[in-house]
Amino acid sequence: MHIPDGYLSPSTCATFYLFAATGWYAALKRVKQLLATRAIPLISVFAAFCFVVMMFNVPLPGGTTGHAVGVGIAAIVLGPWASILAISIALAIQALFFGDGGITTLGANCFNMAIVGSFSAYAVYRMVAASSKLSSRQRVVAAALAGYVAINASALVTAVELGIQPMLFHDSSGTPLYAPYSLHVAIPAMMIGHLTFAGLAEAVISAGMVSYLQRADLSLLRGVSGLAQAPGAIIAGAGTEGSAGRLSPGRLWWAVACLMLFTPLGILAAGTAWGEWSSADWMNPHTREQIGAASGNHAPPSSVPSGIEKLSTVWTAPFPGYAPRFIKSPAFGYLISAMFGVGLLVLASLLARVAARKWPGRNLGT
Amino acid sequence: MQNISFSYEAIPAIRGLTLHIEEGDRIALLGANGSGKSTLLRILDALYFPSSGTVTFKGNALTEKQLQHDEFSLNFRRRVALVFQNPDVQLFNPTVFDEVAYAPLQLQWSKEDVIRRVQETLQVMSISHLRDRSPYRLSVGEKKRVALASVLVLDPEVLLLDEPTATLDPKSQSQVVDLIQQWKGTAKTVITATHQLEIVEDIADRVLVLEAGAVIAEGTPSEILSNTGLLLRANLIHAHRHFHDGIMHSHPHFHGHSPHEHEH
Amino acid sequence: MSRHSFLESTLQGFTRAVSKALQSEHAATQPGLLQQLDPRVRVLGIFALVISVILCRRLEAIAAILLVAIAIAVASRVSLASLAKRVWLVVLGFSGVIALPALFLTPGAPLFVLRYATLHLTITVQGVRTAVLLVLRVETAATLTTVLVLTTPWTHILKALRSLHLPAEIVIMLAMTHRYVFLLIETANQMFESRKSRTVGTLSSSELRKMTARTAGVLLSKSIELSQEVYLAMLSRGFRGEVRLLADFRLKARDYAGLTAFLFTGCVAVWMGR
Repeated sequence: MHIPDGYLSPSTCATFYLFAATGWYAALKRVKQLLATRAIPLISVFAAFCFVVMMFNVPLPGGTTGHAVGVGIAAIVLGPWASILAISIALAIQALFFGDGGITTLGANCFNMAIVGSFSAYAVYRMVAASSKLSSRQRVVAAALAGYVAINASALVTAVELGIQPMLFHDSSGTPLYAPYSLHVAIPAMMIGHLTFAGLAEAVISAGMVSYLQRADLSLLRGVSGLAQAPGAIIAGAGTEGSAGRLSPGRLWWAVACLMLFTPLGILAAGTAWGEWSSADWMNPHTREQIGAASGNHAPPSSVPSGIEKLSTVWTAPFPGYAPRFIKSPAFGYLISAMFGVGLLVLASLLARVAARKWPGRNLGT
Repeated sequence: MQNISFSYEAIPAIRGLTLHIEEGDRIALLGANGSGKSTLLRILDALYFPSSGTVTFKGNALTEKQLQHDEFSLNFRRRVALVFQNPDVQLFNPTVFDEVAYAPLQLQWSKEDVIRRVQETLQVMSISHLRDRSPYRLSVGEKKRVALASVLVLDPEVLLLDEPTATLDPKSQSQVVDLIQQWKGTAKTVITATHQLEIVEDIADRVLVLEAGAVIAEGTPSEILSNTGLLLRANLIHAHRHFHDGIMHSHPHFHGHSPHEHEH
Repeated sequence: MSRHSFLESTLQGFTRAVSKALQSEHAATQPGLLQQLDPRVRVLGIFALVISVILCRRLEAIAAILLVAIAIAVASRVSLASLAKRVWLVVLGFSGVIALPALFLTPGAPLFVLRYATLHLTITVQGVRTAVLLVLRVETAATLTTVLVLTTPWTHILKALRSLHLPAEIVIMLAMTHRYVFLLIETANQMFESRKSRTVGTLSSSELRKMTARTAGVLLSKSIELSQEVYLAMLSRGFRGEVRLLADFRLKARDYAGLTAFLFTGCVAVWMGR
């Protein structure tokens, strides 16, 4: 998942450096507030650990490389903010010493793996583990899921960044200047490798670590508040029990807002995504050309394939083509549809939590 | 006159301890692993703060708040030094020279002073030839000497040594003991935590025996070392068995100062 | 024991590779071109060239920067053989594999058609150009970064970053992480060795997985413990959150000249390669 120099255009690099820098700044402030100087050796240890984990990677043709990160356990034990710093540091050292990931793309890599990874892992872990006992099996499952989701979320964002390059940055003859694979190749290439091999590796590491810590040192699973106190003694410079343990609704909304901002990228998938053509597209000469170009230069058949014609009338989605008719601009339409879709998801998850709380026989408390 | 007095309870590692240490004292803390020696040393170095009771150094109480004041902290850290049991913990700089220079740099000495003092210290500890070496590649004995050098560079008044001779070969061990003996009669206060009985006589005038976080005995080296029952109870000696000429000898004792030899 | 020893030998080989890569090399002490310059100039200059690599749009300009990079390497006494081993072959292996399908997948004017039974693969002009562009960029950027790292001791890079206003905490963490990676690897090796001597017979794959997970867990625990101890040791020696290093950098005339040369080269390349 490390993106080397040369895969991303200068403007992409700059944009993601900006995102990453914001993340780093916020993380540093948060960490100082919660852990003071005590955080420094601890974060360094996790950085070293993740460094070692990340070294084992394999190239994924069509994308970059596939590997586990250690973000699951880092986010669970350190909390998301310290985890951002730990993984970013590991990435920086890898970029400098091993050329694993580029210097110009460090911002993007940190955004993908450290920021997106840490937050997804943390969110999933807190949601699935909820208030179960620290030593329960539920926590192990939560850790596995957290790791799996985090890796795939990072891979997805990476794939998107790579996939939009050829569309946005090519020279006059159509040669892509940076990463040459568009979304329809980049996404499957990255995701297949991570949904299987890398995601599972991360899940196993996260689950294995949590299960080990449950037996060896339960206090570490208490999260940031547990780290602020040494076992049995009070160490100079310890922070206070922070509220970093709870995933507040406010933060959840922030995450959702960020996700929604990404949806217009869907539009950039020049025209229609591969395979998602409607029967009208087949007849339109302009889109026919696009279809041909996207399909390895094979000319599309001269008439609408009969199967498509028959099935196209079966289901008419309420928002066909993602744009409710009364909205003119496609970009706006995408945004509205995304908001609607996400709203449904958030509502569903909130309802699920309410239902879970009412479920009899739950273990409450740490 | 230096006066450290403290009593505290409720920390699992230490229970209800009161201690008075005077300037120039040489004290040995005897106890098996887990008896609380390390914790005590850290409390003395203001790294841990007791959950109840007070620790004072030269009339000043050592509290978390006090240590956050720059002036007090700089002063205290220069005068009291702790050498950790595991030298790897103390060696985190890229070269030996940097390592020894770390403490004075932190205390904001001028660059010239730092360089001069580091060179002196390296010479005294006979490790000048190691100055540009990486700490990862040293032998255990060398690491311990570097760790010692890294605190001696400050010329501290109080030296807290946590198991300084553990895992060392006999030659290195005697070098460390010699160093500690040098300070006899000077104004330096040395508190050594160890479980190696054979060095106690050389390094201390006063012995405290710890067990499970409490002081169970106090006295001069000869008093304590001859009390076999006490030593057995504190898990400091063992029944030593050797086998030669087809006969099993069993002696409950410790390897004392005089070399342990039999006529065979 | 075959699976076990495979894991072990991979780990040992890995350990050796990492240790070598992380330690400052012989070249750092040689009197070469880069070594004469202030580390801050080195860092800024190399980074400027890397940025110009990604700003260039033409193959020829990037190739020119690569030649400049190699020239700098030679002038700084960096062995080309070690560069080849460390950078060129590795990049070819990774990015080469990644770029290969681009030859066929990029739409455009067909250059060459590969026919094998029913398989029809068209290599386009644009495909070739984009693949070469990608690999060349990565090679050049990696060469520049590696030359910097090989000619500059780690502490100097850190001090340079600090004077370029990277926050103190980050610099300390970079330094400590560097140190901990060694310790971690050593501990991991030791643990594997002790397991090996205690294991009789072959391990099944699920046992192997469990052992690996347990080893990783113990490693993590020990590392966290170690970090707490190191923190105390730092406090004990007066650490209060600031980085204080001994080296003192002062800019000389040749540093300004060097910096100007770097920036000039970068700009020329970008201008020519637009």
